[in-house]
Amino acid sequence: MKLIDTIARAGRSLKNAKARTLLTSLAIGVGAFTITLSLAAGQGGRAYTDQIVTANTDVRELVVTKKQPEVSNEPQKYNEAGVAQPSGTSGPFGGGAASQVNYLNDADIAAIKDVEHVVSVSPNYAPQVAYIGSGEHKYVVESLSTFSPSVRLEYAAGSVDGDLKKDEIILTEAYASVLGFATPADAVGKKVTIRADKLSTALGAAENKLFEYTVRAVSSKSGFAFRAQSSLLVTNDAARELYEYINVGTRAYGNFLLASVQIDDEKNAEDVKNVLVSKDFEAQTAADILGTVNTFINVLQGILIGFGALAVLTSVFGIINTQYISVLERTQQIGLMKALGMRRRDVGRLFKLEAAWIGFLGGAIGSGVAVIAGLAANPAISDALGIGDTYLLIFAPMQVAVVVIGLVIVSVAAGILPARKAAKLDPIEALRTE
Amino acid sequence: MIEIKGVTKTYGKKQNAFTALDNVSFTIPDGASVAILGKSGSGKSTLMHAISGLDRPEIGEVLIDGQDILKLKTKQVDKFRAQTIGFIFQSFFVQANETVADNVSLPLEIADVPFGARKKKIHEALESVDLIEKIGNKAKNLSGGQKQRLAVARAIVNRPQIIFADEPTGNLDSVTGTKVEDMLFGYNKKNGVTLIIVTHDPDLAAKCDMQVNIKDGKIESIREKKTAAKKPAIRKAK
Repeated sequence: MKLIDTIARAGRSLKNAKARTLLTSLAIGVGAFTITLSLAAGQGGRAYTDQIVTANTDVRELVVTKKQPEVSNEPQKYNEAGVAQPSGTSGPFGGGAASQVNYLNDADIAAIKDVEHVVSVSPNYAPQVAYIGSGEHKYVVESLSTFSPSVRLEYAAGSVDGDLKKDEIILTEAYASVLGFATPADAVGKKVTIRADKLSTALGAAENKLFEYTVRAVSSKSGFAFRAQSSLLVTNDAARELYEYINVGTRAYGNFLLASVQIDDEKNAEDVKNVLVSKDFEAQTAADILGTVNTFINVLQGILIGFGALAVLTSVFGIINTQYISVLERTQQIGLMKALGMRRRDVGRLFKLEAAWIGFLGGAIGSGVAVIAGLAANPAISDALGIGDTYLLIFAPMQVAVVVIGLVIVSVAAGILPARKAAKLDPIEALRTE
Repeated sequence: MIEIKGVTKTYGKKQNAFTALDNVSFTIPDGASVAILGKSGSGKSTLMHAISGLDRPEIGEVLIDGQDILKLKTKQVDKFRAQTIGFIFQSFFVQANETVADNVSLPLEIADVPFGARKKKIHEALESVDLIEKIGNKAKNLSGGQKQRLAVARAIVNRPQIIFADEPTGNLDSVTGTKVEDMLFGYNKKNGVTLIIVTHDPDLAAKCDMQVNIKDGKIESIREKKTAAKKPAIRKAK
């Protein structure tokens, strides 16, 4: 018997038991629905984190720290000379403080600079300035970071093409507003001042200095860029200048928790990382950061798919049951077909194909509903989570196709036992049933 | 020519053994109409199953044109049934939910007849049983007589060499029964197809060229009409 004839006959048999076929396939449809949605959520989640990470990190940038001592859960013995630390490290707050952090010093920075492919090293200055002001408005600066030309920013006014000048600053919308500018556009081109207080001065002999900057642009809130939301941005040189003024003479001076290392090309990131690790540094590439976030998403997705698989497993028993009943009901038909010379293999194939139809139907219905519901719900989900125009459910046609094909295969496997029963039927016995 | 030689079929084992066919031997010439006559439980159905390759008696030979079908492999027996044999049953066994055309198409599909050749054969078969106007109907909408005619069409559609009819008129009233009988005998005479009817109806048996009486698994008597022996085999070459 030709395969196409068998497929057609299998399809007609199912059409003759519409309600049963539909109900059986709905069971598998629940699994298809869950799995399709989980895959879409995983896909969307990864795309979302990818956007977040690329908006906040630079693919040509590595975040480097000194190799940190092994974290021990045991209580640590007090040491008069400082908390037990590997020799050769200099803790700025060492000597009694519970600090177990190793810092980067000037020698380390120089060592990093010597690594091949490294273009520049920017220690994380993060200067703690007193305030930012414009006229009589003075506000505390929570975060002052260095500007990186390749981190994507969204601007409410003005824009930065290429690099920032040393006497320029990028404000956030919130700061532009409190500093007395009516609109972000008004702020562009205006002067603002930042006061830095020297830390190493004797009590009562406070020393401070005002630094003046021109507002180059105002960054706007973006669904991805966390850094841009809260940080004022100046050039690396400007940040160093502030840092030097504030910290010179303190114990922490010249020690940095981390440094960002610019390299010449994204493809060298892994090499640079390996070199740095061999030199007792810890380095994270943009891909590493993305990987960490994605691991979390993958675990969640795995759990959801597990539930879907459970639903599929349940429906497998549904299919086996339905097909057994079908074989019993159609004993005469099977007997007739075998009497007319249909081979055992073809009889078995007929029933396996019926199971395949059920799986296909269930898979198509389940994932179809999932796609429609997902696409319809996407705007509402994005709205509720406040992530802007990004959609959290992304349906990849290939994945949907794989889900449907996978369920067809599972259904055929479920149909094997009933099909075997049908193939084994003795036509004489079958035709004797009245 | 069908030669049955010493066919013996037993069911069960040892003390419970029951002999359904006991050393049955006879010969059926090509193109003959044969009635296998007997009461229920006499072994007549078992005999039909043995000749048609549905059952496999452990002793004896069933030679069809010299080939012992009891020695064939399952696959080959299936092929033999698909290509050489047509079946008609007392309870029709037509597929109620399928159309008339799909019912008749089944043997062609099983015998791997190519698409192109099917339509013509289905039309011819339905025309010869007067059902051509019902071709698109569901079989469940047919009357009993029409269903059995449909079964006849299904049996002849692939031009079999032998047609087995198991109580073909048992579920029909006399008028429709006669119509079906006439069709079977007409087809048997016109195309030289061997027709083997299993029945307990002596009137139907009397219409056949040859009557084989079975009782308790043994042949009681074989009666032949004189014309039957002389009738030349005019079966069309396939």
